Amino acid sequence: MSALSDEALLARYRAGDGPAFEILYARHRQGLYRFLLGLSGKTELAEEVYQDTWLSLIRSTSQPQGRANFRTWLYQIARNRLIDQWRKHGIHNPLHDSYDEQLHAVGDEAANPEQLLNLSRDHQRLATALHTLPADQREVFLLRAHGELDLPQIATLTETPLETVKSRLRYAQQKLRRLLAEEVLT
Amino acid sequence: MTDARPAPEEQVLEHYREQAPGEPPAHLDAFILAAAHREVPAPKPNLWQRWVRACQKPRWQVAFASLVGVALMLALVQPAPERESAGDFAPKASAPITKKESMQAPASVARSLSTPAPAAPMADFAAPAPSESISAERADEATVSKRAAVPVKTLDEQLREVLRLQNAGQTQAADDLLAALHKRFPKENLSARLKQLQKN
Repeated sequence: MSALSDEALLARYRAGDGPAFEILYARHRQGLYRFLLGLSGKTELAEEVYQDTWLSLIRSTSQPQGRANFRTWLYQIARNRLIDQWRKHGIHNPLHDSYDEQLHAVGDEAANPEQLLNLSRDHQRLATALHTLPADQREVFLLRAHGELDLPQIATLTETPLETVKSRLRYAQQKLRRLLAEEVLT
Repeated sequence: MTDARPAPEEQVLEHYREQAPGEPPAHLDAFILAAAHREVPAPKPNLWQRWVRACQKPRWQVAFASLVGVALMLALVQPAPERESAGDFAPKASAPITKKESMQAPASVARSLSTPAPAAPMADFAAPAPSESISAERADEATVSKRAAVPVKTLDEQLREVLRLQNAGQTQAADDLLAALHKRFPKENLSARLKQLQKN
């Protein structure tokens, strides 16, 4: 059964097959949690949204619609729940901030392949570097890194033009590489 | 020759996948999995299981459905009644009876006399409406067989039969038939009608 697609596992769970959910959960638990933790920056909030997301999936009878696959659907639910939580707690939604992409496109001339092998592994530094990114770039990077969504899927999920998604990811990667390399060198 | 190393930007992604902290706490895993087990949708029963379950809780719908089912089965299993005889009667229902035909059917006359009298007025029998005859022609086999089951001998036909019997020297049979017709159509002037038919 572990060879089945996410969509097939969800269908089996909806048809009364309990163990199908366990496989589905094991596949996505870590990626979804890291995405929420990285985007919200708060463990408590990430856990709350994480739990809400899975419970709504358990209790819902719906299926991914149209071209959306299970993974896109799951992250879409999680993203919407996080935005709801921000709204509920009166927290400003950083994903709605508009900014000039070019201002965040810091040049990366100093980087070379050797430096890339020495990226910091310090968890705190990884998290700090991530939070220096604008929220839009951070979201795209997290969806790519932990959600393992491809760029068109991210564009659909965030309702953003594909070219914008590409540039956000590129800027995010360049900045992270620079920040983590610098941290190692100092 | 291809470079197996990922592009520098892809390397950052890989680095985060491998090094980023964060695991959902065990109590959250347990809670979500328990909820999933608790709320696993009940498997949908197949048609047979639903039927058995419905039968276990007797309701009038089930009884009615069973009755209809049995009736349908019986209707299918039973041979079509008198399909051949229906075929014999069918053309007579719509076509005018010729002399030859009336000669061939003395037994059917007697049978028709023993059946109850038709409720419709005689004029309807004597001169069927054109639309009715057209519809009879177009009617399918089932309709024809239904109509054939009803005796359609008109008074005039039976009076012709009386004449035929008289001409054939079977006066006793002719008298019996006439007497029966008198009983059946007491208001009709059968003698006058008989004379009229003789002239024709």
